[in-house]
Amino acid sequence: MSNPHQYIALITSLPHLGKLFSRKEVPISQYRLRQRMAMLEPGHARRLKEMVEVTAWAGVAHMENDFEVIQRAREVIHDLAEYPDLQHLVTGRMETRTLIAALRRRRNGQDAAGAIEAWGYGRWCSMIKANWADPAFGLGHFMPWVADAHRLIRAEDHIGMERLVLTEVFRQLDHYSIAHEFDFEAVGIYVLRWIIVERWSRYNADQARNRLKALVAEALSPSGTAAVVQSVSAELFTDTSTSLEGVLP
Amino acid sequence: MNEFVVALGWFGLYAPVALGAIGSAWGCALGGSAAIGAMLDSDGGYGRFIGVSLMPSSQVIYGIVIMFSLQQTTVDAANGAAMFGIGVLSGFTMLFTGIRQGEVLASAIHASKAKPEIFGISLAPAAVLEGFSVFALVFALVLAGTMPS
Repeated sequence: MSNPHQYIALITSLPHLGKLFSRKEVPISQYRLRQRMAMLEPGHARRLKEMVEVTAWAGVAHMENDFEVIQRAREVIHDLAEYPDLQHLVTGRMETRTLIAALRRRRNGQDAAGAIEAWGYGRWCSMIKANWADPAFGLGHFMPWVADAHRLIRAEDHIGMERLVLTEVFRQLDHYSIAHEFDFEAVGIYVLRWIIVERWSRYNADQARNRLKALVAEALSPSGTAAVVQSVSAELFTDTSTSLEGVLP
Repeated sequence: MNEFVVALGWFGLYAPVALGAIGSAWGCALGGSAAIGAMLDSDGGYGRFIGVSLMPSSQVIYGIVIMFSLQQTTVDAANGAAMFGIGVLSGFTMLFTGIRQGEVLASAIHASKAKPEIFGISLAPAAVLEGFSVFALVFALVLAGTMPS
């Protein structure tokens, strides 16, 4: 895909995703989305795949360690040189992950940032290191969500934390989508939004499945209900994070 | 010198049609691409998407009307420069409004797919652009009437 007419056809063929948390299911299935993305030219399809790989949790899950994720992110950002807004988006996502990773490390008892270069990325590393004891790492005056995230993580409110992080990521996507209506950047932003909406809808599906499991267990063994419910809630929002886990599936 | 002015006159005579046709083709392609994409994601209302995507086709019609209004029995040094000025400038107006109309129609189709109730109002920018084309047409006709024959 190289001309604006094809981008227009592709973008208008994608359903409106709506506001975050407003839908219980994605308006377009993964299969259909893949079909539509076949309209992209090979170079753009490759870049999109790389971008999703480095921003989505499923993509970084198979990597050995945080440093490998950071190296991969650097390569992807370099490869997106022709698309500065997508570069900023990937950079912003990595910085958001770094902040969440720092919050989790601090919650887990780490008393200093340590070698942050090995697990963090972006502009805020030195601020995080210098303000480790501050709830918002000294960034609260222009990133108020960090202090909110600190509070939620302390309260072990995993759902609230997830909502907060997804809202922040959606806000970043909204910011960059203003300047792009019918181009490759618009396609990339749509796919990243879709991943977030799909992730949230999957949580609901998982929740429903687990609730059904709990009800069946209750019906079969009334005495074991409490244990089942406990294991269900543990499965739902298990915090198995490495430092860069976080934003996307 | 006279030959040059005569050449410019012929250039100006055909410019509204040629530039208007390019504007219409470009605008219809933009709007049509949006309509085709929207049809992939809709279960109905295909006719209205295709219908509005054809709106920029009016520019070439205006161009033809301007060409006929400029046409004289002969193109000479007296009327060549006027034909050039009126024809080229009105042609560029048709070209620009055709392309821009296609762009706003693509946006309108995209937006009204998500929110069907705004379909009518979303066409307002395209209608305003159509109005600008009509201004260019009307005043080209007025000026053509004052040209030396």
